[in-house]
Amino acid sequence: MSTDLSHFKDAFFEESQEHLTTIEEGLLQLEQRPGDIDLLNRIFRGAHSIKGNSGMFGFTAVSQFTHKMESVLDQLRSSQMVVTVAITDLLLQSLDCLKTLIDCARTGAAPDEAHVAALGGRLEACQGTPAPGQATAVPAADERSLPPGTHRFTITWAPPRYLFQRGLDPAQFLKELASLGTVTHLALDAGRLPVLMELDPEQCYLGWTLELETGKDLKVIDAVFDFVREDSTLTIVDNPVETHPTAAVSDGAKPLGEILVETGVVSQTQLNQALSQQKKVGEILVEQKVATPEQISEALKKQSECTVPAKKAETPSIRVDTVKIDRLINLVGELVITQSMLSDLGSRFEMSQLPVLLERVAQLERNTREIQERVMGIRMVPIGNAFSRFPRLVRDLSGKAGKKIQLILSGEETELDKTVIESIGDPLTHLVRNSADHGLEPPDERLAAGKPEQGIIRLNAFHEGGSICITVEDDGRGLNRDKILAKGIKQGLIAESDKLSDEQIWMLIFKPGFSTAEKVTDVSGRGVGMDVVKRNIEGLGGTVSIKTVTGKGTTFTLKLPLTLAIIEGMTVRVGQDTYIVPLLSILESIQPKREMLKSIVGKGELVNVRGTYLPLMRLYDVFRLEPELSDPTKAILLILETEGERVAVMVDEILGQQQVVIKSMEQNFRKIEGVAGATILGDGTVGFILDVRGLLNISRNGTAQAA
Amino acid sequence: MAKTVLVVDDSPTMRQMVAFTLTSAGYQVVEAGNGKEAVGKVNGGAKPDLVVTDLNMPEMDGITLIKEIRKMPALKFTPILMLTTEASDDKKKAGQAAGATGWIVKPFNPEQMMAVIKKVLPG
Repeated sequence: MSTDLSHFKDAFFEESQEHLTTIEEGLLQLEQRPGDIDLLNRIFRGAHSIKGNSGMFGFTAVSQFTHKMESVLDQLRSSQMVVTVAITDLLLQSLDCLKTLIDCARTGAAPDEAHVAALGGRLEACQGTPAPGQATAVPAADERSLPPGTHRFTITWAPPRYLFQRGLDPAQFLKELASLGTVTHLALDAGRLPVLMELDPEQCYLGWTLELETGKDLKVIDAVFDFVREDSTLTIVDNPVETHPTAAVSDGAKPLGEILVETGVVSQTQLNQALSQQKKVGEILVEQKVATPEQISEALKKQSECTVPAKKAETPSIRVDTVKIDRLINLVGELVITQSMLSDLGSRFEMSQLPVLLERVAQLERNTREIQERVMGIRMVPIGNAFSRFPRLVRDLSGKAGKKIQLILSGEETELDKTVIESIGDPLTHLVRNSADHGLEPPDERLAAGKPEQGIIRLNAFHEGGSICITVEDDGRGLNRDKILAKGIKQGLIAESDKLSDEQIWMLIFKPGFSTAEKVTDVSGRGVGMDVVKRNIEGLGGTVSIKTVTGKGTTFTLKLPLTLAIIEGMTVRVGQDTYIVPLLSILESIQPKREMLKSIVGKGELVNVRGTYLPLMRLYDVFRLEPELSDPTKAILLILETEGERVAVMVDEILGQQQVVIKSMEQNFRKIEGVAGATILGDGTVGFILDVRGLLNISRNGTAQAA
Repeated sequence: MAKTVLVVDDSPTMRQMVAFTLTSAGYQVVEAGNGKEAVGKVNGGAKPDLVVTDLNMPEMDGITLIKEIRKMPALKFTPILMLTTEASDDKKKAGQAAGATGWIVKPFNPEQMMAVIKKVLPG
C-alpha cells in the first residue's frame, strides 16, 4: 500500500469509543422506548461506523463481530424483530465483547475466540436465519485474475439513456478500456439517435463497438461496466489468441479453515468451535512432560511483561473544540502584538514614558492570565463522559439487588480537568453502588413506608466558586445514626463516652473496615470502598461530605478543585520566608486580642474565636524559623479549615493573593510534613505551599520537622 | 487546476482517511459531516468536481443528498460516488435510481479508491 493510513488508527480508536458510548446509552434507553426508530437508527449508525472503519484498518475480528450485531440491529430497526429484554441483554453483552475486541486490536492482544464465537453464534441464532455473508468479503477482481494470455475482446455497448443524469461520461469508459490494452477497432453506433426535434441533449443515444487486445481476462473487462451494467445492452465476446497453462496462485495462501468456510464445507461457528479446542502450546508441552507448569507460567509472565509496556506507551489524546483553539490563537496574536509594542518601547525608552510602559506591562499581564485560563480550558472536558457509565451500572445493579431504580443525571455539561475526571470514576462508582445497595430500600419496604416503589438516584455536577461539586443523592432510608454509633463502638473506632456531632458520626462510614450492611452482597457491604472513596477524593485535593435525613435519603457531596496543577493561593511571610496557603482552606484572618488567647498544659496554645477554642500554631515553630513577631496579638492568625476541622496558624504578614503552579516536592526532593508542594514566586525564589491537612496532624501530634 | 472533491461522511476517521488519500493524490478536499452540511457547503459556494458520500448519516442520508445534488443545475452531471459497506444490490439500486455515478465498497484501500475515482472523474 503506497499510502499509509496507519496513523489514523488513534483517531479510529478514539472515535470508536464515542460510538461504543452511543450504542451503550442507546441500548439502555431502548428498554424504555422500544419503538423509537430514531434511537435505533442512532445505535445502528454507531455499529455501522465501527464496522466500516475497523474493516479499513484490517481489524477483521472487530468488523465481523460488529457485522453480526449490526444485522440484529437492522432487523430491530426494520421491525422484523421486537426489542425484548433478552435481546437487549445479548446486545449489551455483545457490546462488552466488542469493547474487548477493540482493545485487543489496539494492544495487539489475542481476544478470547471462544467467547467471541459463542456470542456471535447467539447473535446469529436470535435472527432466525444465519447471516451467510461476511462483512469483509470483497473479492478484488484483479487479485483473482487468471494468468496472462492475450485475448481479443469484441465489446458492444449501448449505455442507458440516463447515463449523463448519473454523472457518467461514456468517454471515461472508452478511456478505461483503452488503458487495459490496445483498441484495434472502434465503431460508433448512432442507430438510436432520434430526429433532431425529438432529441434531448441530456440523453445518451449512442452506442459503441470496439475490439480490444489485452492480457487481462473477461472479469476485468466486465468490471469496467460495474456502474452501468444493469440498464446497458452489453456483450463481450472473448476470442482467445493464445493461452498459457494455468499456474496455481499461491501468494498469500489462506488458512485451511477460511477456505473450508468459503467453500461451505463448515460454518464459521463450527470452525471457531474447532479452533477453540486447539490446545495451547504450553499445555501440550506440559502434557509431553517437556516442560513443567512452573516453567510455562514463568515464560507466560515474561511474555506479558513484554506486552505491558507497549500498552502504556500509547499517548492519550484529547478532543478539543476548535472554537477553543481559535480563541487561543487570537490571544497568542494579541500577546505577540503586546510583545512587539514592548520591545519597540524598550529600544528608545525615556523616563517620561514610564506610564506607557506600566500600561503595556499590565496589558501583558492580562494577556498572560487569559492565555493561562484558556490553556487550562483545553484540558477541561464535560463530566458527562464520567457519568456515561452509570446508566449501565445502575441497570445491572437494580437487576442484581432486585430493586427498581431510576437514575437521573444532570449537569453533564459541567467541565473539569481531564485528569480529575479520570480519577473520580472509581469513587463515584463506589458511591452509586453504595446508594443502590445500602441507601435504597427493597420495593416492599418502600411501599410500606409510603414511597413509590421505584427508588431514585440522582447524579448532579455543578460549579461552586473555584471548585466543582458532584452530588450522589438517593431517596432511600437515610443513614442510621444509632446503628453507625453502635458499630463504631463495637469496632473500637470510637469510645462509648465520646460525644460526637452528627457530622462526625456520618464520617465514621469512611473509616477503613466499616460496614453496617447486614448481609454482604457482591455489590457492597464488605467494608472496603468508602474509605477508598475518601482517600481518592482527598488525593485530588477535594472533600466528601454527607447530608442525610432518616427515611428521606442521603446525599454525598464531592467537592473537587477544577484543576490539579494550579491553585489560588494567599502568600504570607514568616521572617524572611514566603509561604503559600491554599485560598480554599482559609476561612478568615484575625489579629487576636490578649484575652482571646489561652495556654493549656498538654494541649498547647488555644485561641477563642467567637466562642470556639481552636489550636494555635506558630508557623515559625513548625518550620523552625526566625520570626519577626512572636507575640500573637501583633501578628496575624489565619483560620484554616479542612474536613470540618479548624486550626489557627500564626504568620508575620499577609503579602497578597495569586495563582501558583504546584511543583511536586516528592519528585524533586522528599516529602515534608505540612508542605504540599513548592512554587516559583514572582521574584524567582522558591515558596512552599502549606498542606493544611498535614498542619492539623502536626498540631494534634505535636511533631514537626525542619523544612 | 486541482480538482475539488466533496467528501461526506459522519465518521471523522473515515472522512480524514478519504481526505488524506485524496489530498496525497493532489486533489482539493471539502469535508462535510452529513448530507445537510454537504448541501450547505455547495450552496455556500463549493464547486466540487466529484462527490464522495457515505450513505448512513444523521440529518440527511446519502441517498437524499444524491437526489438534492442532482437537482442543482451546476452539479447535474457531476460524478457522485457512494461509500457503502453493503455489497447488497438494494443499496446500489437505490443509489443508481437517485443518480449516483458509482460506488466504493468498504473496506477499501487507497489504491482501490483512487482506481474508482479515476474511472469516473475525467483526468
